[in-house]
Amino acid sequence: MHLKVLPLDLADVGTQRCRLGPGLMSSLNLRIGSPVLITVSEGDCLCTAWPRSDLAEGFLQFDTKCATTGMETNTFKDLSVSPGHIKAVHCPKLKSVRVNVVVQSMDFKKHSSASFIHELVKDMLRGVYVLEQHIVDVSYLKNQVELIVVQHLDSGDSVAGLITAKTSVDIGEIQTLNSYRSQLHKPSSISLGGMEDIYTSLKEILHLPLLYPGTLHKLGLSCPKGVLLIGPPGVGKTMLVRSVVKEVGASLVTVNGPVILGSRPGESEENLRKMFQQAREASQEGPCVLFIDEIDSLCPKRMGSTSAPQNRVVAQLLTLMDGIGSEGHFVIVGATNQPDVLDPALRRPGRFDREVIIGVPTLRQRKSILDLLSSNMSLCASVDLVALAEMTTGYVGADLSALCREAALQAILHSSQDSQEHTVDMKHFLEALKKVQPSCLRSSIGLTDFKPITWDQIGGLEDVKQKLKQSIEWPMKFPEAFVRLGLPRPRGVLLYGPPGCAKTTLVKAATCSSHCAFLSVSGADLFSPFVGDSEKALAQLFRQARACAPSILFLDEIDSILGSHPDSRAPHSVQSRVLSVLLNELDGVGLKTLERRGAERASREPEGFHEFHQEQQMEYQEVCNKDVMIVAATNRPDALDSALLRPGRLDKIIYVPPPDTEARLAILKICTKRMPLESDVSLEELAQQTHLFSGADLENLCKEAALLTLQEESMDASSIKHKYFLKSLQNMKPSLKVQQIESYQHLLTS
Amino acid sequence: MSKAAVVSLHQALKRCFQSLEQNQKVWNSVLEECGPLMSSLGNLAEQLLALHNVRIESTPLVRFPDLHERLRYKLLLAVDTVLGKLAEKMSTLQAVRDAVSNQVTAAFQVYEQHTDTLDLSTCLQRSAASPSVADMLEWQQDAERHYRQQYLRRKAFLQTLKPNDLSHLQKAPKNWESLAMPSGEDGISDALSRVSLFMDSP
Repeated sequence: MHLKVLPLDLADVGTQRCRLGPGLMSSLNLRIGSPVLITVSEGDCLCTAWPRSDLAEGFLQFDTKCATTGMETNTFKDLSVSPGHIKAVHCPKLKSVRVNVVVQSMDFKKHSSASFIHELVKDMLRGVYVLEQHIVDVSYLKNQVELIVVQHLDSGDSVAGLITAKTSVDIGEIQTLNSYRSQLHKPSSISLGGMEDIYTSLKEILHLPLLYPGTLHKLGLSCPKGVLLIGPPGVGKTMLVRSVVKEVGASLVTVNGPVILGSRPGESEENLRKMFQQAREASQEGPCVLFIDEIDSLCPKRMGSTSAPQNRVVAQLLTLMDGIGSEGHFVIVGATNQPDVLDPALRRPGRFDREVIIGVPTLRQRKSILDLLSSNMSLCASVDLVALAEMTTGYVGADLSALCREAALQAILHSSQDSQEHTVDMKHFLEALKKVQPSCLRSSIGLTDFKPITWDQIGGLEDVKQKLKQSIEWPMKFPEAFVRLGLPRPRGVLLYGPPGCAKTTLVKAATCSSHCAFLSVSGADLFSPFVGDSEKALAQLFRQARACAPSILFLDEIDSILGSHPDSRAPHSVQSRVLSVLLNELDGVGLKTLERRGAERASREPEGFHEFHQEQQMEYQEVCNKDVMIVAATNRPDALDSALLRPGRLDKIIYVPPPDTEARLAILKICTKRMPLESDVSLEELAQQTHLFSGADLENLCKEAALLTLQEESMDASSIKHKYFLKSLQNMKPSLKVQQIESYQHLLTS
Repeated sequence: MSKAAVVSLHQALKRCFQSLEQNQKVWNSVLEECGPLMSSLGNLAEQLLALHNVRIESTPLVRFPDLHERLRYKLLLAVDTVLGKLAEKMSTLQAVRDAVSNQVTAAFQVYEQHTDTLDLSTCLQRSAASPSVADMLEWQQDAERHYRQQYLRRKAFLQTLKPNDLSHLQKAPKNWESLAMPSGEDGISDALSRVSLFMDSP
């Protein structure tokens, strides 16, 4: 027979009664009011047995006044208890008891005398049956005291007892509800990939004053008070703080800029003071972190008298931060992705002592993030996380988690179609890669979308293809060879040659074959009517490209971006300024500190050989491919500034020649691949006759011939005859000139 | 044997209810007396607040020396007197609480002494003239707990009153009213009227 658990009657709340049927009571040999221990799956609770007023059997209601943790908030829906779980306990009167008290607010703890709390608690506990390590819930009294945790009973050999007026109550510790709760919910830590070093340094700042307060005091050290986290959106700044706070067991007070700002004058400052007060209160009980997310919105640069309210908020924040040390210790952590707009007064020791830069994750960091994200996904054996990490250049943590989510979604969609088990395959990841774009490129001006092209789709030019592969593909595919020979990757490649000879297509093919982020920019994107805007756009482009290195930055028609001729250029024209930015970005003094990525890592010995090999491979990758590669194309190389062409900048200069006979044949073959040809068509002959034709011309020729066929025969002509090719050839003139080609060749040799 | 036990238990219960009835009257009258005291406390708080806000220098009263301090002292003295009176009332309430508590415990002890001879079914027997023993014990305990809770809450509330927190002091009468728990009070009255026939029986 099972007892159905019903919710407690309102009148019985706080009485410690459990209501049983009288038959059950006599079968268990219980008297009215005798203590019983009820055990359910969530825990147990001590009650006194009372008959139900309607004397019905088969039901159980009990008050969880004295219960184990986790019972007090339970509603016990659809629970049934067998009578075997109800046991009578012997409860002698207690001589003394030691308890901890949980109160509602810090205020009450500070302002009430110990004797008053003692009296209160003693009154509350009178007539209550208690068990060791159980919690007496007195919140129904609506008093400041919420819970009383029974620590120790002096009751001889029995575990339970009754507190009477004569029992001496000893209060051990008084804590607030918040800290008690945070103690209860022990960290189910948030795990982070690839941030171990930053994690430990942040943890140290929080831990240091806690573990060695004496030492710090003796040394006269003031503990660090502030940390500023800088990094692009989505790298996990907020997550990092939450995770560290959980690990240390500190309490977290979060401040959001927009929430602080109020409409009335002075309201914002007041809110700010309130938050600091809250943190100060929390810090009196343990470590505390005040986390100001998006601090740039709260604390921009102070300027002039136009933004006086804003200035007051900044000033208030500064004074509050200076005032921390005097009472209560807590750490302020600010997070921002635009450190440049912060007020400079904020970024000095004493306010934000340390600045931690979290960059876009490197290859190895991406690998560890992926490891972590996929640890609770059921992955197929075919999934190669290293390859995936290589492919996801420029992805931050948030992007990677979006990627994993998308892949899992793909798996679910596919498996529902052919009803297989749910495992995530590599193809699902590849599918997801198409949908999830790296977030650091989202707002970039250079992001382009094009149809993928393979090397085979370009006829001829084997020599050029080889050179391009060398400079773009090899460093990615064989990094260890490059490192072994001390061979740096070329910084830039310039393709030049007559128009229409597949320079742009070559670059497309190169990017498609290597998994690089690809940014393409033309003059139209850069130039703007405002002074300084073009340079800024270009610098921004480089910054984004570096953030997701290895990446390829393609400057098509570079001569138009940098102006036609160095001599005719005015000394302060836009073009010359853009050129100087370009030169600086290509070969400047160094990077801004904000663009730091990854960190030096102490080399550790991985266990197996295979793992070691993989680790090394990834390390080579990182060393080799941390830069942006510039690829420029022009058909007027003579117009370029010589400073641009020296080694170290565009150091690989490749001439893309007009196609020779064989190349022309190859191009014609590719162009006519989808055209039905008559058997008499001789592409060799055509190739012979099309001297000085560029690739574009040849493509046009094929189109013309096809069009002519439709024109001459009928709309349902099935194949193209040779004569149409010849006919259209007569109408066309080659776009290249001998003179022109010679001038290009001279450039090469001279 | 069981008959004698029942009789003695009934005697104890009767005694307990009688004392409960008396004590309820005392408790209610004391609480009624507290009401005016509380409102005078609120009144004094308002006066203190007004004194805090007024600038005596800009009134004709400026001729009296140290008027501000003197008035303040006088008002604080009055607050102290009222609080002292309230404390007296509280001790009366405590006496009521203790009396009820002792009576109820005693009655329950009588029940516990006779548990060997009293079986559960006897305790649960209800009749037209008298409620069952279990019910009566329950009501008594409910009444006892009600007084304990009330005393605790009122005492804790008085403890929070401080002369420097004027706004809290000002709201004191209202908050004092809200401390009352009508359901508990009604419960006791209900129980007493339910046992009235039982009490009259010899």
